[in-house]
Amino acid sequence: MRLYSCLRQMAILFHHLCGQFKKFDSQPFHMTALISTVGIRMGEKLKEIERGAEEIIENFIKSVETLPELKETYYSQEAYNIMRPDGDPTQETERSEFRKRFISNMPSTDDRGNLKVEVARWTKER
Amino acid sequence: MDQGTLEKLVEIRRGDLSAADNVASALELIKKRDKQINSFIELNPNALAEAEAVDLKIKRGEKVGKLAGLTIGVKSNINVTGLRATCASRALENYVSTYDADVIKRVRAEDGIIIGMNNMDEFACGSSGETSAFGPTDNPAAPGHIPGGSSSGGAAAVAARLCDISLGSDTGGSIRNPASHCGIIGFKPTYGLVPRQGLIDLGMSLDQIGTLSADVAGTALLLETIAGKTGNECIMLNVEKVSYSEKLEKHDLKGLRVGVSPKFSDLTDPDIMDIIHRGIEKLQDLGAEIVNVDLPNLERGLSAYYLIVSVEFFSGTRKFDGRKYGKRIEDVCGEEVLRRILRGRYISQKEYRGKFYQRALQIRTLIKRELMAALEKVDVIAGPTVPKLPHKLGSKLTPMEMYAYDYLTVPANLAGICAGVIKAGDVNGIPVGLQIQGRTLGELDVLRVMRALEATE
Amino acid sequence: MKVKIGFEVHQQIDTKRKMYCNCPTNYQDVPPNTNVCPICTGMPGAKPLPPNERAVEAAIEIALMLGCKIVNNQTIYIQRKHYDYPDLPSGYQRTSLPIARDGELHGVRIREIHLEEDPGQYDPVTGNVDYNRSGVPLVEIVTEPDLKSPEEARKFLRWLTRVLEYTGKVRPEAGGAMRTDVNISLEGGGRVEVKNINSVKGAYKALKYEIIRQRDKLKRGLTVARETRAFLESQMVTVPMRAKEMEEDYRYIPDPDIYPLILDEERVRATQLRMAEPPHLREKRLMERYKISHASAEVIVSERELADLYEAVASEVDPRLAAAWFRTRLKKVLNYMKLKAADIEFTPTQLAGLLRMVKDKRVTPEQGELVLRELARNPADPEELLLKLGLVPLNKSELEAAIARVIEENPKAIEDYRVGKKEAINFLTGKVIELTKGRADPREVTQQLIAKIKQKPSG
Repeated sequence: MRLYSCLRQMAILFHHLCGQFKKFDSQPFHMTALISTVGIRMGEKLKEIERGAEEIIENFIKSVETLPELKETYYSQEAYNIMRPDGDPTQETERSEFRKRFISNMPSTDDRGNLKVEVARWTKER
Repeated sequence: MDQGTLEKLVEIRRGDLSAADNVASALELIKKRDKQINSFIELNPNALAEAEAVDLKIKRGEKVGKLAGLTIGVKSNINVTGLRATCASRALENYVSTYDADVIKRVRAEDGIIIGMNNMDEFACGSSGETSAFGPTDNPAAPGHIPGGSSSGGAAAVAARLCDISLGSDTGGSIRNPASHCGIIGFKPTYGLVPRQGLIDLGMSLDQIGTLSADVAGTALLLETIAGKTGNECIMLNVEKVSYSEKLEKHDLKGLRVGVSPKFSDLTDPDIMDIIHRGIEKLQDLGAEIVNVDLPNLERGLSAYYLIVSVEFFSGTRKFDGRKYGKRIEDVCGEEVLRRILRGRYISQKEYRGKFYQRALQIRTLIKRELMAALEKVDVIAGPTVPKLPHKLGSKLTPMEMYAYDYLTVPANLAGICAGVIKAGDVNGIPVGLQIQGRTLGELDVLRVMRALEATE
Repeated sequence: MKVKIGFEVHQQIDTKRKMYCNCPTNYQDVPPNTNVCPICTGMPGAKPLPPNERAVEAAIEIALMLGCKIVNNQTIYIQRKHYDYPDLPSGYQRTSLPIARDGELHGVRIREIHLEEDPGQYDPVTGNVDYNRSGVPLVEIVTEPDLKSPEEARKFLRWLTRVLEYTGKVRPEAGGAMRTDVNISLEGGGRVEVKNINSVKGAYKALKYEIIRQRDKLKRGLTVARETRAFLESQMVTVPMRAKEMEEDYRYIPDPDIYPLILDEERVRATQLRMAEPPHLREKRLMERYKISHASAEVIVSERELADLYEAVASEVDPRLAAAWFRTRLKKVLNYMKLKAADIEFTPTQLAGLLRMVKDKRVTPEQGELVLRELARNPADPEELLLKLGLVPLNKSELEAAIARVIEENPKAIEDYRVGKKEAINFLTGKVIELTKGRADPREVTQQLIAKIKQKPSG
């Protein structure tokens, strides 16, 4: 487990350098795309995880072959049109405590309370 | 035999035992034993002060809540302001909760003292208690064996009397499984009975917060405290309040119909089934009528469950991008968490949705129908909780072998019904829990059965 | 070259609370990250509150306003649309399945309408994220690519804004309450989507730029790839936004934390009864009832409050006169003073009073317009304003005296007119108007001047 996370850290570093992990432009995480010169063994480990993930899917396909088609159950109980009337919003005093804690958890913030994240690549291109 | 929950509450209220002392001894015991058990990730630094406040109220003759002075463990996926809801993961290891989950508000309102955040399987993705980023938890009832999961810390803490009761969460068996392995009482309420506001998601349509306790009385009290609609979330049953405690005095089960299915024996180790059979005989002795019920597709629920929970977990973890708090989950999580994210990502793709996600939801309909049909013939269904005994800590299991622990518990989550687990015996010292499944909002029947069994001890 | 332009318009709905939590919606008035709670910031474990009912009602009204068919008696799930972007606190946006389809506005087909929530505000240049706006209810209006030019597109968006304002349920336009993604394709090229457009003007500029860019590429024999681009307002260009041209899979699932909606006929009917009359229907009705022209009716219904004012006034004075005034002078005064009909403070009775004076020829139309301007500035009884402005009508002798004086004082102009310079008469008329402080009717002045000049001996 430790070797695995160590290798993964190296691959992450490698990809930071290649700009692959830029959160802004990323597609949902492509694990298999992480195969690199540094992380060949890393790639194998990840492939193993993927295979492990797929096993139960195969199991599923087999087990439901003979079962009939039915209506899907999305919710444990059926209910519709559960709504909430518009009205007076919460007061600032009710929210100030949360705001403090929210800001204190931020990895990076400015003095006005903005969260600071990455700058978009496409704004830099011109 | 240690003192029961009700006796302790009475003592605290009488002033014979101070809440502060209750907390102090718990902390003492945790200090002594938890290095080895590892059931807590973080302790509440204000616990003693909170206990003293309760004692002051009692001294002044003021009214105190129904959990007054009891020490409560909270699973690390439930938000408690000021404490870290780590989900036992590096992704949230520094996330200090910014708000209280609704169940926590209710526990505090009843003067329960939160003693700390319990260890668990990372992001509730496990049935063993071995996948925490903060180290595995040991089983106090069967040292060297897994305590089960994912509410591993809560079950172990209660089993070792490190706290009076614990709040856990159950998505596919995460309360019942460790309750069985650790020999304590676990309860998963009907889906929608207990508010989920503040519970960090594993599978939104399956998760429920529930209880881990050494006795039925504690279970009932805690359930009464946390259950009921809040108006603070969308998906809740239209139930204002529940009350069970006063209805648990009768200890015979005359007139109660208990369902059993031959399917259980097909899926479970014979050693475990022996214990279960004996348990069911006891129910018969107590006056219950034992009825055979048909659950022909029970075992097909497992793979359907894992497909559904993976999709929902993938969705629920998109917020862990490391921007607002914590770290990006895929960068630091363990293998099983990653497996579920990848699986969820894969099967929720446009071209596969019908084949996998929607098909799994159809199987859910099937499982639900069968259980509901059975529960029309009987009041509760009794059977094993887990198909095999807990393995030794450190054993290597494949993912499928690990998932196999969940065969008997996932159906209740798929159907949204309630279920409780109570110790029925042990195999070579390893506890075996009897699972009692009830109807939608059939908590009372399940509790009655468990109380009756408990009373025979 | 054939151009096809379509829109995805995001319009904020005017509610006090956000869509899935009770935070206030006035995101522009407060410091960053102030109108926030665990729900709209995507805290671990936070669950949505039931959807804001007023937002749902508003979406139905908007759909009906645009002539759409409401999706009746079908399960409408609120879905999770997953994508990764800094302004999306939970990594997914809650967006409903369509609540209505197949509408039309001024020849442009409306494909569908659904209910969404606004993400927070991310400034891609500074990297700042503010979640005040996160969770404000939105309605998304998707059109077919029926527009054929940036000019048409601009006109359509302006019309759409007015129609949306008709419901009285949308946030006023200032500050990005209405945002548009545009899609544009030229014959022979792929469909390009342009995001990050915050105004009607921006949409127009972005489209103009894109047409040039795409046309240029096609002329040079290059392919125009299907892609998503961003509009940079400051530089008035579009730039590629996503390197990959493939469609992103949003992995939609029904949100397990929100029960679905079913819009039954009863609810739709109740909404129809309650809501304001849609402009295209009102236009027809006004034409029929008051026998006014289409041109007038179109102007009158351009703002709901304007149409309300018209109908109130038309019940007191000649509707055709009123219509003419609404179409010309009132519109002019409102534009000049940069007023919307909703900002008008004078009453229908006051306006009717003024129009009656015009009809009775107690004031000239031009004088009337001056009174109107004053009316808009300081609402009062028109009789009072008449006195205040000194617009007591000129009597015959006053007029004759003024004309005589101007003729005497401007011999050169008289000469000019006599030799055929027609502009000279306008100059002289102007002088008379000036002298009489606008109290004279210019047409009459001109007539009398001409007559007098003819009479006067030369030299």
